[in-house]
Amino acid sequence: MIERLSHGPASVHGLTESFAVSQQMISKHIAYLVRARIVNKTKRGRESVCTLRPEAIKSVSDWASYYRRFWEESFDKLDVVVNQMKKMEARDAKKRG
Amino acid sequence: MPKKEVSQTDRMVVTRIFDAPRELVWKAWTDPQYVMQWWGPKGFTAPVCRIDFRVGGKFLCCMRTPDGQEFWNAGEYHEIVLHEKIVSSMYFSDAEGNKVEPAQYGIEHPAIEDAFDVVTFEDLGNGRTKLTFIGNETMESAKNSGQLEGWNEVLDKFDAIVAGLRG
Repeated sequence: MIERLSHGPASVHGLTESFAVSQQMISKHIAYLVRARIVNKTKRGRESVCTLRPEAIKSVSDWASYYRRFWEESFDKLDVVVNQMKKMEARDAKKRG
Repeated sequence: MPKKEVSQTDRMVVTRIFDAPRELVWKAWTDPQYVMQWWGPKGFTAPVCRIDFRVGGKFLCCMRTPDGQEFWNAGEYHEIVLHEKIVSSMYFSDAEGNKVEPAQYGIEHPAIEDAFDVVTFEDLGNGRTKLTFIGNETMESAKNSGQLEGWNEVLDKFDAIVAGLRG
């Protein structure tokens, strides 16, 4: 949905066709995105048109890579922590003789 | 919702080999004193980390972005096999650990219902440990993760017993 809207505004009808799910499902998802202030919904004649809010694009497009990045980079830091712990333990062991 | 969104994070696996014994890696993973030092992406800090490390217990961690924005995550431990495996859930929360919609943080989380994270600790010998993080598993597959290692250990013990009987 977000990816589709990143190419430009789309009507609810058009979105329903793109995703081959019920209009009810699409409307529910759009309502969620509107509440989250990710999408703007405006009336154009009889159609509702959805637009991606530009300020929302960054955080949203980041999400897919965010989860992996979180763990990859946490692991990098964990490696440093583990090495420090290892040194500390070695030092303590030395003190104890 | 569109299947593509789910598949982007479906079964995310991150592995890393640490040049440290398994007990030490386990400690770094489960003791808040150490978790605070590694939780979160590069440049982020973790000013708060509370861990009630037992099955049914919860954790709460705060990470702070370089520009000072705070994100809270909480979760619950569902399975703990000492020095081997942890199955837990994780979600966005407020500072009290109450679950919040990721949208409140401006994130559209392609939420997968009944998703769990699995971490396995594998002793590679020579003081090395392989850590495997599997995200977004269903409970069914989470139960089975790491089972192969478990079985290998059972077989090793079995071999030892058999050898003893032969003795």
